[in-house]
Amino acid sequence: MKTFLKSKGFREFLRVVLALSIGLGLGFIITCFVSKDPVGSYKVFLFGPLSQLNRIGDWLEESTTLVFLGLAVAIVFSAKQFYIGVEGQMVLAALVSGVIVLYAPFPPVTRIILAFLAGSVTGFVWGIIPAYVKAYLNASELVSSLMMNTIALKLFEYLLSNYLQLPKVSGIMSELFPKDVRLGSVIPNLPFLAETRALWEKQTSVTVMVYVAIAAVFLAYLLIFKTPFGYELRMVGSNDKFARYGGVNVKRIIMLSICFSGIFAGLAGVHVALGIHHRIVMNMSAGLGFEGVNIAILSFNNPLIVPFASLLYGYLRAGADVMERTTDVSRELVTIVQAAVLLLITAERLLPVIQQRVTTQDDEEHLQEKGETNVA
Amino acid sequence: MSLELVIRSIFSTFFLASVIRICTPIILPAMGGLFATAAGTFNMALEGIMLWGAFTGVFVSAYTGNVWLAVFCGIVVGILVSLILAVFHLEFGADLVLGGLAINLFSSGGTVFLMYTLIGEKGNTSTLSSLSVPNVAIPFIKDIPVLGEILSGHPVFTYLAFFLVFVAYIVIFRTRFGTYVRAVGVNPEAAASLGINVKKIRYYAIAISGALSALGGMSLSMAYLQMFQRDMSAGRGWIALAAVNLGARHPIGVLAAAMVFGFADAIANQLGSLNIPSQLVQIIPYATTIIALVVYAVQQKRAAIDRMKKFQEAHFEEVEAQIGTTE
Repeated sequence: MKTFLKSKGFREFLRVVLALSIGLGLGFIITCFVSKDPVGSYKVFLFGPLSQLNRIGDWLEESTTLVFLGLAVAIVFSAKQFYIGVEGQMVLAALVSGVIVLYAPFPPVTRIILAFLAGSVTGFVWGIIPAYVKAYLNASELVSSLMMNTIALKLFEYLLSNYLQLPKVSGIMSELFPKDVRLGSVIPNLPFLAETRALWEKQTSVTVMVYVAIAAVFLAYLLIFKTPFGYELRMVGSNDKFARYGGVNVKRIIMLSICFSGIFAGLAGVHVALGIHHRIVMNMSAGLGFEGVNIAILSFNNPLIVPFASLLYGYLRAGADVMERTTDVSRELVTIVQAAVLLLITAERLLPVIQQRVTTQDDEEHLQEKGETNVA
Repeated sequence: MSLELVIRSIFSTFFLASVIRICTPIILPAMGGLFATAAGTFNMALEGIMLWGAFTGVFVSAYTGNVWLAVFCGIVVGILVSLILAVFHLEFGADLVLGGLAINLFSSGGTVFLMYTLIGEKGNTSTLSSLSVPNVAIPFIKDIPVLGEILSGHPVFTYLAFFLVFVAYIVIFRTRFGTYVRAVGVNPEAAASLGINVKKIRYYAIAISGALSALGGMSLSMAYLQMFQRDMSAGRGWIALAAVNLGARHPIGVLAAAMVFGFADAIANQLGSLNIPSQLVQIIPYATTIIALVVYAVQQKRAAIDRMKKFQEAHFEEVEAQIGTTE
């Protein structure tokens, strides 16, 4: 038990919990300033998503998107590449997969499979330019990926409003995907679950994408921790010069890390198109651009922690949504809370007070033990 | 409008004047980024600080009716936000990139949150009657036919931006403070061993970058437009950062790089009047940034290879000379 309390994982967990508490505390203080009924508003923010089944559904849908985005960023961050272009990969993947389910002349199942493939490929391909520019020319992947994001968003807007736009509709959107390419409900079609399934189908639209997300988590875990590629990826992340000296093709790893992360960002796009909106519509990626970064940092780039971080932030986002609809506080409160948490977690020297105390104690004990054995 | 007309308008005085106007909100944060970068603290939060400057300027001017008080408050807020990053980086060891991203996130969300709280809007402040800074007609120059149209009649911020390039040059290369900043940036340990307070210099550099980025933001909301829009910095903070690198971290070079981006932006505006879809035209400045990054990176690589070759040649002669002496 004592060793568990001293373990690195536990201490980092404690740091995250502290950062989250401070962030949420800050959120409450801000609410006190802006709301007529701060306690009521904050209660809605914290417990709103649980109040109705459809809100739980929204929470799960949102979290599924976040899992894919978090995985995408966790992969690039493992190689210490500050690539934050997942938003661009995501919207373009959503567009491409949407076009396929709308227009490809194949049976529904083939179209869905094709949509998944095309979405992943789009993400992969859209990463090639910033990846190449970083790996072979050493140009800042941060700036280039941000530029690629804006370019992707403009391209998306252009293609959507010029080629897919529904006539006589005020918003910018494509037509609804046909019913036969809708993904199935998350509750399996089993006799004893029939009632639950009917209820969930009626009130929520959580789809089988949840299982795809879980599979993606394990896939990303295997990729980062159980393959030669992942080993080299982490080696580049911890010390790229050492990695090069050790015979790792650093350029190839950087290139692939960004492109592979694009596959997961692409899946996020597929989920947003096929699983949530069921059409291609403007602002599909609204506010999701940096969520991947938040989640990757919160989960220390470990794919197995990503789902928990995603559920947490998905919950807060869903809560903020409910809060905006039912109280006088705007949903951007959650962004401020997340920014505070991100800042607190990255501040390495800020919250390790406990950590330092434990380690110094630990060292002293070790020294004492050594001293005793020497005397003996 | 035909292509011919567009090309003709590109060579018009109006176009050159618009280049000067459009590059203002890039030059100002770029100069700020230059100070921070020179001190070895790459400020990733320019984009977000611009938003706070733009936001504060609009709201203070709308509520007090005093433009200059608004500009002052905008600068103060810009410095305060940049100091959050400075404290977290210098005192608590936060990573500059992630800390900067956090500040940007905070700015993007925070400005919208406050806008909603204050006026109940989430898109822009068009319902608010905020003020803009006056335009300046330069005496004598305004009467010169072509030059007057290009150079005169811009908002105060534009002249301030060009003047600040000059100031930045003087401060960085001709003052003690500038020497300290460069020393801290090149080798903090050596600077510290000579008794320079590295942390203090970095605080100043980041604060300067905050003040200048806030000015850049206000040149968007109090000159370019007369209102605040959500996320109105639209990547200019990042383009400014790119300009710092492309300009080889020299004020004049950075100015030139910022002008290139202003040029790309102005061309995009001109092409907007053609039958080309606006979204594709709006891609131009961002694509230009990537191309510029690539060109710069390729040049750097070539320069490095050249240096290596020269070093090898010099070394070769040395070795031959040594062989000669042993024989």
